[in-house]
Amino acid sequence: MSSEKRGKFLLVDITHNDTKAILIEENKITGKSKSPTTVDEPTLDVTRGVQDAIRQIETAKNIKITTKNGVKQSVKLLCSSSASGGLHMIITGVIGNISGESAQRAALGAGALLIDTFSKDDKRPPYKKIAAMRQSKPDILLMSGGTDGGASSQVLEMAEIIKRSDIKPRYGTEYNLPLIYAGNISIQDQVDGVLGENGYALKMVENVRPLINRENLGPARESIYDAYMEHVIIHSPGYTKLAEWTDERIVPSQAMVGKMLFEYAQQQGVNLLAVDVGGDTTDVYSVYNGVFNRSLNAGIGLTYGIGNIVKEAGIDNVLRWLPSSFEERDVRNIIGNMMIKPHEKITSEERRIQAAIAREAIKLGVNGHKAIAQRLKGVVTERTLSDMFEQALEPTLLNMMKTQLVVGKGDAFKNQTIEDSTMILLDSLQPEGVTELYLDPENMAAPLGNLVDHDRLTALDLYGDSLEFIGTCIAPRGELKTEKDALRIDFEDADVSHVFKYGELTVVPMKSTEIGEAQIVPYRLDVGAGRGKTIKRNIRAGKLGLIVDTRGRPMTRYRQTVRLLPFEALGRES
Amino acid sequence: MEQVTIIKERRIPTSGEVYVDVGETVTPDTLIAKGMVPSQEIHELRLYRNLNIDPETVKDHITKHEGDSVEKDEVVAIARSFFGRQTRMARSPIDGVVTDFSEKTGRMMIKGHPVPVEVYAHIPGIVQELYDDEGARIETQGYLHHGLFGVGGETHGELALAVESGDTPLTSSEIKQEHNGKILVGGSVATLDALREAVKQGVKGIIVGGIDQKDLTYFLGYEIGVGVTGGEDIGLTLILTEGFGINPIDNDLYEFFMKHAGGLACIDGTTHIRSRSLRPEIIFPTLSL
Repeated sequence: MSSEKRGKFLLVDITHNDTKAILIEENKITGKSKSPTTVDEPTLDVTRGVQDAIRQIETAKNIKITTKNGVKQSVKLLCSSSASGGLHMIITGVIGNISGESAQRAALGAGALLIDTFSKDDKRPPYKKIAAMRQSKPDILLMSGGTDGGASSQVLEMAEIIKRSDIKPRYGTEYNLPLIYAGNISIQDQVDGVLGENGYALKMVENVRPLINRENLGPARESIYDAYMEHVIIHSPGYTKLAEWTDERIVPSQAMVGKMLFEYAQQQGVNLLAVDVGGDTTDVYSVYNGVFNRSLNAGIGLTYGIGNIVKEAGIDNVLRWLPSSFEERDVRNIIGNMMIKPHEKITSEERRIQAAIAREAIKLGVNGHKAIAQRLKGVVTERTLSDMFEQALEPTLLNMMKTQLVVGKGDAFKNQTIEDSTMILLDSLQPEGVTELYLDPENMAAPLGNLVDHDRLTALDLYGDSLEFIGTCIAPRGELKTEKDALRIDFEDADVSHVFKYGELTVVPMKSTEIGEAQIVPYRLDVGAGRGKTIKRNIRAGKLGLIVDTRGRPMTRYRQTVRLLPFEALGRES
Repeated sequence: MEQVTIIKERRIPTSGEVYVDVGETVTPDTLIAKGMVPSQEIHELRLYRNLNIDPETVKDHITKHEGDSVEKDEVVAIARSFFGRQTRMARSPIDGVVTDFSEKTGRMMIKGHPVPVEVYAHIPGIVQELYDDEGARIETQGYLHHGLFGVGGETHGELALAVESGDTPLTSSEIKQEHNGKILVGGSVATLDALREAVKQGVKGIIVGGIDQKDLTYFLGYEIGVGVTGGEDIGLTLILTEGFGINPIDNDLYEFFMKHAGGLACIDGTTHIRSRSLRPEIIFPTLSL
């Protein structure tokens, strides 16, 4: 822990169901509480839930934080919110996978839920775009298109379509929809001429794609935060009052999750992959070589988005994770009902189906993420012969062998045991090499992410403490015949070795976290240094201990039983 | 169930003609607005290939020119060789208009005719407001019940009970010729055969407690996926009041249906399941016109 003493912070994160309050004093969490969110009827005032949560801390600590008009000046209040389904956005571009994709990255990075994306080159004719835009009812529209001094007529054509669409904001018709223009800056006046006085609260910012080989997402992202605060959030009941309690902006929770994960990966010096499966969305966050990306699969989730998983992945891929006693017809009906009438308390049958669905949701989410986490498109890159052999120009930044840290968070893990959560992560992500697996059970990334700009070190320390360390997973890439020797691990400090057969999933429970240095010797498989090449790593054991997954990559065994192998039972076999 | 004011915004996604005025009384079948949207069908014909001649010479063989209307399979270019003994022709693949012909490349573009879009009132009521060139807002009084899930769009007809109670399954044997054009209330579950028979008999809609999700998939021919429905072209509108599987209709609701049997029901299976949820609608208008 950092020793420097810092100020008092009250972090509040408002989700659809709960309002969480965390009091931080002298770099430590000294109070934590949760109260139902009160945005919806009958209360219709978000501050009631916030006050309830703060009062719980006050009662528990016998202190006074609240005043008549908010909180004491000595406490800095920082709020994030994802209530009412988060920040709904639509984006427009000229070329879908150039300006459209940059706008998408800016919006996703700002924590948005993309309802729809429109571009000049998508297949819908203008009248269908108009019908879809009218139906969309977003919170904010982000318009991009053209490099600076580049395409103009297509951008203006899109502006005409937006004008014709007369898009109404989600929270009613009595205010104008915030529209952020982040396209070709040389035609800002013309865009203003088309859209300026036509029912939109238009704001001009720097281009998200000023040059074909450069992205500039910061100004658009900041503008989204401003619009969220100025135009969107104040239309939710009680938020105007909440905004008066704090000097800081109320920010989208998902943006703060991204910020926290990015900072944590930077501090740990690792490549990180985090998955968050919610009710109707699956978020994937990654940090590879210092580059942050967030992708969101709207409509892929455990309640509202559950049917889409069956459609996208196929019912057989869901059934493969379930015992054979589960009949397809029953599973389909249960899934259908989880979609149309989500409920908090679930049966054990639903829990197992949810775990199966979560695996496929993460797989779909990661596949979608690969398209976002990649080099800029439209840029001509010179490839030399050596590049081709070294695969230096991989299509995506995501690489499981180079992923040192995996975090699972969200509803997918809420109803599961740590063992089931581990299986969800292993089966869906199929980590390769040596990977540390974590869960974020209390969903602390959002509130602590909000602290990053005020007290980075405390935020990082507390986030690290809040993560539940499952264990280190060692998984070789490649395939062998079943029961062939897959790899040997020499635990050097304990002077013990063990050979693991191919096709097994072994959990080695440990008494202490520190295992020390281990030599991993793969037989014709790859654990990171190349086929058959030995690596040495300092290995730590988590709550489950050490996990050795020799089911092969890509994995083909779906109903594998887990073998428990106490560390004491490991023999000297080398 | 309480009587409420029901408001419907009826708009077309393009500019067109509005056929009603403020204060006018409308029935479900009243045309509110109509317009034309450009066709998505565009075909490029490489006439020199069809005629087996040089592109530059195609211009001497075309029979249709820019702006000409063409019908499907109509000849647009013809070339004769060997003293008229061998004839090669190019035909239009669609009904449409010749939008472009390049003398240099010998290529012809044919675009489909604009497609009409129209919107009807769907409910009986009174026109409250007009949207310039696009439609109108209609208001009525009546009962409104939201189902849990539906497929198929707006339709209306006389409400008829097909089963004796809310917990009786709706099978094909309950669907009769007399149900043509009606909205049928089933019981705990509709079988796949019942749905197919209903389409055959011209039933406009079915309100039922549940359906096996697998049967619905077979009926539609594809997986539902994300809970956004309403545009399915399946011959009828289906609304589930309770959920997937075998689910008897709630007693109070079934009694309500019994009371309104024989009256007009305007239903819409459109469902958007997300935070901004849109659930299927069952409307019983009470406004006397």
